[in-house]
Amino acid sequence: MPGLSMRQFRAILKKDIVMELRTKEMITSMGLYAILTMVVYQVALAEAGENFDVRLVMPGLIWVAFIFMSMLGLNRSFVHEKDQGCLDALLLAPIDRPVIFLSKSVGNLLFLLVVEALSLPVFAFLFLQGKEGIGNPIWMIALVLFGASIGIAGVGTLLATISVNTSGKDIMLAVLFVPLEYPLLRAAVGATFAAVIGGPGTMTAFWGWMAWIAAFDVIMVAVAYGLYEFVIGA
Amino acid sequence: MGDMPDTGAAVEVRGLSRAFGLRKALDDVSFSLPAGAFLSIFGPNGAGKTTLVKVLTTLLNPTGGSAKVFGLDVVEDSDELRRHIGLISHNPLLYPDLTAEENLLFFSEMYGISEPERRVRELLVDVELDHRRLDVVRTFSRGMLQRLSIARALLHKPEVLFLDEPYSGLDPHAMDILDNLIGSIRGDHTFVMISHDLDKGLELCSHALILASGRVVMFEPRSAIDEAAFRETYRATVGTGVS
Amino acid sequence: MKKRSMLAEIMLVLGGIITTVALLMAFFWAPASLYPDGRVDFAQKIFYFHVPVAEASFLVFVFTAYYGIRFLMTKRREYDTKAKIATEVTLFFVLLTMATGILWTRVEWNVWWQWEPRLTTYFIMTLLVIGYFVLRNSVEDEEKRATYAAAFGILAFIDAPISFLITRFVQSTHPVVFKSGGLETPMLVTFIIAQVGMIMLGYAFYQLRLQQEQLRERLDALKISVGG
Repeated sequence: MPGLSMRQFRAILKKDIVMELRTKEMITSMGLYAILTMVVYQVALAEAGENFDVRLVMPGLIWVAFIFMSMLGLNRSFVHEKDQGCLDALLLAPIDRPVIFLSKSVGNLLFLLVVEALSLPVFAFLFLQGKEGIGNPIWMIALVLFGASIGIAGVGTLLATISVNTSGKDIMLAVLFVPLEYPLLRAAVGATFAAVIGGPGTMTAFWGWMAWIAAFDVIMVAVAYGLYEFVIGA
Repeated sequence: MGDMPDTGAAVEVRGLSRAFGLRKALDDVSFSLPAGAFLSIFGPNGAGKTTLVKVLTTLLNPTGGSAKVFGLDVVEDSDELRRHIGLISHNPLLYPDLTAEENLLFFSEMYGISEPERRVRELLVDVELDHRRLDVVRTFSRGMLQRLSIARALLHKPEVLFLDEPYSGLDPHAMDILDNLIGSIRGDHTFVMISHDLDKGLELCSHALILASGRVVMFEPRSAIDEAAFRETYRATVGTGVS
Repeated sequence: MKKRSMLAEIMLVLGGIITTVALLMAFFWAPASLYPDGRVDFAQKIFYFHVPVAEASFLVFVFTAYYGIRFLMTKRREYDTKAKIATEVTLFFVLLTMATGILWTRVEWNVWWQWEPRLTTYFIMTLLVIGYFVLRNSVEDEEKRATYAAAFGILAFIDAPISFLITRFVQSTHPVVFKSGGLETPMLVTFIIAQVGMIMLGYAFYQLRLQQEQLRERLDALKISVGG
C-alpha cells in the first residue's frame, strides 16, 4: 500500500475504534445479545437432563450466537457512516475504494473478536462447569474464531454496505448474510466440534474443517473486495 | 497545490448526459464557467441539479459527454480531481461522536495533508470554533455544524467549492456567518451552488443556470440577466418542469 | 427481435415435446433400476425429471452471474434486466428441483425432508435466489438496485458450489447418478434427451420472459415521453 493509502487505512480504523470506545455502541449491544442468547439456551436445554453432554451441542450454540450477534455489529458499523452523509465525504476524498473496504473489515473483525473472546468464557462458566472439559488444546478454538470471523467480517462488510442503503436494513442483512455464510458456519461448527470433543481422529477433522474456512475466507473475501468499489460507488 | 493544468475554464461541461435505461437525469448539458466565477444552479426537484453536482464531484460517472474541472476529467483523472474540490452540503458530513478537532484531523488524513495539527488549528480559528474544538460534534448547534463543515471542506485548500443548498435549515444568524465566510474566501475560489432560494442564489452568483428535466433551460452571466425575465423563466420551469 | 421470438417459441414447443418423450421413454423403454434385494425401484423414474431440472437451474444461474459482471462493467440496464430474468428462471427451476427432491425422499427414505447434502444445497440456493429478489424489492433507485443485485448475484453464484462441496465433505446419502458404469445405455440416452429438452425449455422461458420485460420497459419509456 502506498503511503497515503496506509495513512487513510489507519485513520479510518482509528476513528472507528475511538468512536466505539466513546459510545460503546457495538460492543454493548453485541455483548448483551450474547448474554441474552445464553439465557435462552438455558431454557432451551432445561429439559435435556443432567447427564446430557453439553459439548455435543456447544459448537452449534456458540456459532448461532455469534452469527446473529455479528449482524448487529455489522449493521451499526455503516449506520454511523450513513447518518450524516459521512460516507459521501469519504468518497469525495482521494481514497482508493478498496482502502475503505479493508479498514472497515479490519475494524469489524476486531470488534467481533473482542466480543467473542469476552463471551466464550461466560459460556464456559455457565454451561461447562462440572462437566467434561475441552478435549483439545484451547488455541484450536481461538484459531477457529479467528478464521471464521475473517469470513464474517469480510463478506459482512460488503453486505452491510448494501443493506444500509435498503429499506428494512436489519432484516435485509440477515436475508443476504445467513445463506451466504452457510458454508463458513458449517465449517466453523465442524472445527469447533473437533476441538471441543478431542480424542483420536479429531485433529484430522479439525484441519479438514480449517481448510474449508481458509478456502471460504480467501475466495469469498477476495470476491467481496473486488465487488466493493462498484457497491460503494452506486 | 499549484500544479493545476492551465486552461481558461474552471468548469467545462460538454454534451454531458447521465441516463439509466431510458430515464435521463442529465440530457446533453453543456456550459463553461471561468475561474473565480460563482455559479448558481436553479431548477425544480428532480431537474438533475444534484446529479450534475455528483458528476462534477466524481461521485457519479456520466454516461455520455464529458466534464472537466480545471482540465481534469471527472472520469479519467478522478483521483487527482478530488484533491482540488470541496463540498459543503446541507448535510454536515461530520461524525457526531468525534470532537471538532478529531473530525478535521480525520479528514486531513484522508487528504494526506502535511502538518495536519497546524492546519486544523488554523481553520478552527477561522470559523471561530477554536474554543469548542474538544467538544463532541453531537452537541453543536446547526450553525456551528455548518461552520465546521466549511472548515472540513477547506482543509485541503480546494480551488473549486461545491455548495449543495448550504443555506437550508439555517437560522438568520447562521446565514450571516455563512455569508461572511463565503465572502471572505470568494476571491480565490470558484463556486458552484445548488439553490432553491432564488433571491439568495441571484445575490451571490456571477453566472446562473436553470435546469429542468435534465436539460439546460438557461445559462447566462449575471450581468446579462434581466431579473424580471429570469424570474419569469424560473417560475415557468418550476411550474411545469417536473416530469 | 422477430427472429429471436420465433426461435424462443420453437424451443418452447420442441422442449415441451422432447421432455414429454423423455418421460414416456423413462417409463416404457428405460429399464427399471433394482434394489439390491431385486425389487423394482419405481421411484427412481423421477430422476429423469429431477436431475435435468436441477442441472438446468444451475446452468441458468450462470447467466445471473455472467450478466451481473457484464452489468458492473458497462452499467447498461439491459444486462440488469437479463440477469434478473435469468434469476427468475433459476428460481423456477430451483423450486421444481426442491419439490421433486422432496417427493423422492418421501418415497425412498420415508421422510419429507432430510438434511442431506444436495437438498441442503438447494435449500440454501433457494434462499439465495429469494434473497436476490427481496434485495431488489427493497432498493428504490434503479441503478443502485441493479448494482447491488449484480454484486449479490455474483457472490451467491460462487457461494452455491462451496455450499454443495462442503455438504459433500460430510457423508452423502444422496444417490450418485453418474458413478462409473452406473447407468445402462437406454437409461443414459433417456436421461440425455430429458436434459436437452429441459435446457431448451429453460432457454425458451428465459427468452419469452425477457421479451415480455423489454416490451414493458419500452412501454414505460413511452409513458414517460408522453407524460413529460
